[in-house]
Amino acid sequence: MIELLKPTRQTVLLRTNPAIKLVLFVALCLVTVLTRNIDFAAYQALTYTVLLFAFGGFPVRKTLLLVLPFGFLFVSSSMTMILFGKGDTLWWQWGLFRISEESFYRGLHLGFRSIAFAAEGLLFVSTTPSVKLFYALMQNFRLAPRFAYSFMASIRLLPMVWEEFLIRRQALQVRGITVRGKGLRGMAEHVRLYAVPLLSQSIRRAHRVAVAMEAKQFDGGGKRTYYYPSNVSWTDAAAVLLLALAPCAAYAAAVVFPWFGIADVRYHS
Amino acid sequence: MTMIEPLDLEPFGPETVAGVSKLRLKFPGEPSFVFKDLSLSVRRGEKVLLLGPSGCGKSTLLQVLGGLIPQVIEVPIKAEGIVAPDSRGYVFQDPDTQFCMPYVDEELAFVLENRGIPRERMVPEMRRALEAVGLRPDLLHVPVDSLSQGMKQRLALASVLLLEPEVIFLDEPSALLDPEGRKQMWESVWKAAEGRTLIVVEHRIEEIADRMDRIVLLAPDGSILGDGPPAWVFGAFRRELQQYGIWYPGVWADFFKVLDLRRGGAAKPLEPDASAPLLTLRRFSGFRAGRPVVRADEARVDPGDFIAVVGPNGAGKSSLLLSLMSLLRFRGEYRLCGEAMPETEGASRRARRAIRPPTDRIGYVFQNPEFQFVAESVLGEAGFSAKAKQAGKAEAEAKARRLLRFFHLEGLERRHPYQLSTGQKRRLSMAAAVVGEQPVLLLDEPTFGQDARNTFAILEYCLEMQEKGAAIVMVTHEENIARRVATKVWEVLDGAVTERPAIEADLAERRAGT
Repeated sequence: MIELLKPTRQTVLLRTNPAIKLVLFVALCLVTVLTRNIDFAAYQALTYTVLLFAFGGFPVRKTLLLVLPFGFLFVSSSMTMILFGKGDTLWWQWGLFRISEESFYRGLHLGFRSIAFAAEGLLFVSTTPSVKLFYALMQNFRLAPRFAYSFMASIRLLPMVWEEFLIRRQALQVRGITVRGKGLRGMAEHVRLYAVPLLSQSIRRAHRVAVAMEAKQFDGGGKRTYYYPSNVSWTDAAAVLLLALAPCAAYAAAVVFPWFGIADVRYHS
Repeated sequence: MTMIEPLDLEPFGPETVAGVSKLRLKFPGEPSFVFKDLSLSVRRGEKVLLLGPSGCGKSTLLQVLGGLIPQVIEVPIKAEGIVAPDSRGYVFQDPDTQFCMPYVDEELAFVLENRGIPRERMVPEMRRALEAVGLRPDLLHVPVDSLSQGMKQRLALASVLLLEPEVIFLDEPSALLDPEGRKQMWESVWKAAEGRTLIVVEHRIEEIADRMDRIVLLAPDGSILGDGPPAWVFGAFRRELQQYGIWYPGVWADFFKVLDLRRGGAAKPLEPDASAPLLTLRRFSGFRAGRPVVRADEARVDPGDFIAVVGPNGAGKSSLLLSLMSLLRFRGEYRLCGEAMPETEGASRRARRAIRPPTDRIGYVFQNPEFQFVAESVLGEAGFSAKAKQAGKAEAEAKARRLLRFFHLEGLERRHPYQLSTGQKRRLSMAAAVVGEQPVLLLDEPTFGQDARNTFAILEYCLEMQEKGAAIVMVTHEENIARRVATKVWEVLDGAVTERPAIEADLAERRAGT
């Protein structure tokens, strides 16, 4: 499961300092959040998806697979706004559904922004191994090693919990347990049957890992050195340039080749 | 919470690297002391083995000697004096819970970072440590989870070496390893421990007893029973070692002697009844995620069979048992008690949904007993399957009580299953699995990590059920079970099951009554 997220392609973004990259992506997300222009939103979605293929850490086929749900994302996030949003130029009405010109474009705008967010997120995740990220956060943002190493240790423990879940399921089958009741009661029964054994194992395991870590002279404070250095190099400059140019290009495209030509999709009565 | 009297070195000699004097230790909420006025000191360079029954506090003592208690694990203690070594390293029992990083190099780097070693020196140090424990020095950016359990323990030892410890503490490091992994791990330990002090807690001591300078034998109440060279301890305390469930050299021979005596002198090994097989397989293969992982061309299980399933880790032993239980999909001919089981691999989704594991004919014991527990009390647990069969309530309870007596669990009926000791949990899981009186019992390494007493208890129950005509199929790494108890051995190599009779010479020897 963790292996699935591991970057396999070397790109500029993979070599970028994760701390700088984190700042850049937060900035990109902010730009997307504040976008009102539907053309800008559409071009952002397009640009980041292209970047994902060009500079993401996964091979093209895997990226394609991950991009497939974007269509669903687009429809699901735009539909509510299209069907129920406010607007004056009425196109179609049936019962509660009410599609107007304004709501339609606002819906599309939402859909484009969702795709832009998803592509930004995937671009970050696919180029950032978690270990490297925590090393950078410790060195650049003064994240306490206590927290960083706890997170890294717990990531290692996750697959074990999943494996135990499967074993527990088999054991329950052997004991002839079938969960009775549907809905909330069934849920409560599931929790009762799975939570106690899985939690008790996990707590014990976490305690043992913690003791083992402290036995290796890890005390959470004090001066430490770092195996992975977190320095700034020319690749970081390249990444900054790339990620700054991307929204600029999208904006320029929106100005020069507008598809819809609506500067502000918000509803003003 | 912790109280340590001012350090007083007087009770200890100058050569003492670890020691306690008049140690008192009690876990909060427990009625009695773990240790009451215990004194022990270890000299520089000594190799000391702490022995004792389960629950006597050996591991706790090890943690006090190494300074983990009370610095890391907060337990109230009081002592006239404590000497903890300045530098120490620990290897613990469970290979899966000693690491916090996903890769070998990152894990080793964790230790070096903690010590503030400059980055440039890290990789050479790592290579040296890996080499010292017999691992390839280029085994650097390799996922920890891709290593075998034995290799993981050696990796733990390598990271201990990077601490440059004066004293190495080992807390049952080989309990969860197979024989091969155990052998390699101890070889690495001897190499690594040269010129250092070594303090070990371990149940399985066949391989290590003669390399120790000194054995400290603890009684169940946490007092020191004997303290001296190994040969003397084994001579003077043989009966205690037996009682405490320690794997002392020759423990299996003693077990078989007792077993033969109980069966009336020169017992003949049980012969399976070959007239009506309980289970037959032909061109059988078990699947995981659509891929065949284990196959058996021809195999059968008769009433009274005791089949030992052996083979290296990951060869497909557990998969075989799971597919026999229809928990994994299978293809091929599988007859259980004369009835053909429907193929599940390639069957339609609807057909598969209708299939339930044949719990009425096969009892299944998982490796970790806790995952099997479903009830809130020991009695409820043992009676659970009986109740599900809609027998009379009183009848089901009477049966559960009978079983609890058989497995030595009477008096614990109201306890929550999680509150039992390891051995008790294991026995309860067996009781719950056999309550339906199924003719076939599948066990997945039931003796793994257990002390000698629990192992022999489990074996005796199995043998008793075998005598009653049940068939036992047990995955095991224990050579003595395969050689001297089993009627047949199924060897699993790379997913292929081959059947061979248990070694003839041994059976003949036992027939002759030696």
